[in-house]
Amino acid sequence: MTPLSLDQPWGRGYQVTHTHAFAGEAPLPASNFLPRGLGRSYGDLCVNDGGTLLHNFRRDRLLAFDDKLGVLSCESGASLADIAQVLLPRGWFLPVVPGTRYVTVGGAIANDVHGKNHHVAGCFGGFVESLTLARSDSASPIHVTPDHPCFATTVAGLGLSGLMLDASIRLKRVPGPSIEQEIRLFGGRRSGSGIDGYLELDAESKPWEYTVGWIDTLDRDLRGVFFRGRHCDGADEWLVPQPARLTVPIDAPQWVLGRWSARAFNALYYRLHATKTAQRSVIPIWPFFFPLDAVNAWNRAYGRRGFIQYQFVVPTAAARGTVPGILAHLREAGVASYLAVIKTFGDVPSPGIMSFPMAGTTVALDIPAPDERDRRALDRADAMVADVGGRVYPAKDARMSATMFQRFFPRWRELEAARDPAISSSFWRRVTADVHQKGPQA
Amino acid sequence: MSGNMALAPEPTSATTRQIVVVGATSAVAQAAIRLWAARGAALVLVGRNRDALDRVAADSRVRGAASVNTHAGDLADVAFIDSLCATTTPVVALVAHGSLTDSAHAEASAEYLDYELTLNFVSAAQWLQRLALACERAGGGTVVAISSVAGDRGRGSNHAYGAAKAGLTAFCSGLRARMAAHGVHVITVKPGFIDSPMTAHIAKKGALWATPEAIAAGILKAIDRQRDVVYLPGFWALIMLIIKHVPERIFKRLKF
Repeated sequence: MTPLSLDQPWGRGYQVTHTHAFAGEAPLPASNFLPRGLGRSYGDLCVNDGGTLLHNFRRDRLLAFDDKLGVLSCESGASLADIAQVLLPRGWFLPVVPGTRYVTVGGAIANDVHGKNHHVAGCFGGFVESLTLARSDSASPIHVTPDHPCFATTVAGLGLSGLMLDASIRLKRVPGPSIEQEIRLFGGRRSGSGIDGYLELDAESKPWEYTVGWIDTLDRDLRGVFFRGRHCDGADEWLVPQPARLTVPIDAPQWVLGRWSARAFNALYYRLHATKTAQRSVIPIWPFFFPLDAVNAWNRAYGRRGFIQYQFVVPTAAARGTVPGILAHLREAGVASYLAVIKTFGDVPSPGIMSFPMAGTTVALDIPAPDERDRRALDRADAMVADVGGRVYPAKDARMSATMFQRFFPRWRELEAARDPAISSSFWRRVTADVHQKGPQA
Repeated sequence: MSGNMALAPEPTSATTRQIVVVGATSAVAQAAIRLWAARGAALVLVGRNRDALDRVAADSRVRGAASVNTHAGDLADVAFIDSLCATTTPVVALVAHGSLTDSAHAEASAEYLDYELTLNFVSAAQWLQRLALACERAGGGTVVAISSVAGDRGRGSNHAYGAAKAGLTAFCSGLRARMAAHGVHVITVKPGFIDSPMTAHIAKKGALWATPEAIAAGILKAIDRQRDVVYLPGFWALIMLIIKHVPERIFKRLKF
């Protein structure tokens, strides 16, 4: 598996200058490098402007699989796509998957990714049995198990604690390559009713392993579509994903990215699902978890100026009030967003000190070609999130201020202390700008 | 890494015909090995670097290979080639090792030029010859050589590499004729630019570049269809047709 761009983050919009190096062929670069997988982080977390990117995607070998315990050892550049395709025919699937399967195991650990089963399973980091870490200040690789002090700063460590070499992860047994899915609509009756509808559906869906909502943030009712699913058996031809037949060949022109297009798109999306509501269906595993992977280079659909993602979480007690408040604020500020994702996290603790999820409700929005006005509106939203004790997701961020970051993640100094002095990223320099003490500066 | 990683060679049943891969840790070879492993093949992997070879072997086991044996050694060592080929019974053999010659270095150092020509041509020819005979002894099979479009015409920027590959292409063409009546088929694969560790130092990669996975898929297809010479991806056949027909008077002035 190869990244789409070696120089840009997934959200695009800006070009940076790098020296490129490949992990596994030579000793670690001497200074200012950043380990990188498939570059699917949306913002500057996966770039290191002016420094070296140490590409790890070619270290993608699977080393051993214990089919009694379901433990897979692999090089950390192995992609979730590859692992799923090799092991699904034997009845195993990844314990946690994000919205794309084109991420590496190392990236999934470094961002402690979550999925539609967070309310029952927690984050990816909870399924890591062990890993080995190469550091510039250690002569030989360090073997890290969950009780090792480096574990909590490597899981959700944003790649800063060292280059992950190998990892062992616990997979889960599944009955087959399919998902039994139910679709429900919420909102659409009176102003702001959507959030109540969503929370009701979510509460009654606890027995379902996977839950997620799509929410129309441009609609005052906050109408949306709720999906819930569980694994089931299905046809053997579903073991292999359909190859992506669509490719976005060029950057979309700016006019398709405005508010009115977003409104029209959202309305259409809602109506399409209105016809299938309450329907129960059995679909292949791939489109359920990775709908956008069916389109190659979908990030080009947002045009040359790129897009940013804004994902925040607020604690359970604040969800009913704060989520509609933030979305109303963004709507009134004129921030255009295509259908956003809403999900309620559970209280499974995460091993990483910098993990994003907390028990509460999270919303993720795509904002195409953000301008100054959009950025100011997001700064205000950051403050609303911080005021109720929530946080914003670094893996998707490209713009939060250092002050806000440090409010969201008060334990960031522990990661700074554990950081390999030769490793840095554009993101880390930005969010620790006032206090970045050791190691390379741009 | 967990302790259950089995690295010991597995016994090869006398009746199982193997797929032998020389240069097994190269990007294209690894991609081909993955496709064969998924089909449940019995694999014999040959390479220089023991640790990398063990990792490729472990990877193929997880992906479903019926058996995997590894042999690490100097790929240009005739005794190593001889002893290994005397004991294998290949149904398919892929010779994939090589090194992209650094032209400036080759100009400066006669020793380096000698090493590169030996590795890219002499050792590849030795392997192909021995493996073709091993296939014949085993009752027939297919031998695949990874040559290069660079062998179609010597370019000012990499004539040492191009010459070695030109030699390899000619060797394969003769070997194919020699073995045709003996049940052994010889395939010459000519890839264009491949985005792999061998070319990692080249920063700008455009539309002409292919992934090792695409090349590997092309190799398996060429074996299934028993092709003689394949350009991978196919559009290189057209490009090379044009390049081969540029008059030398003009060609010598081209800077590429």
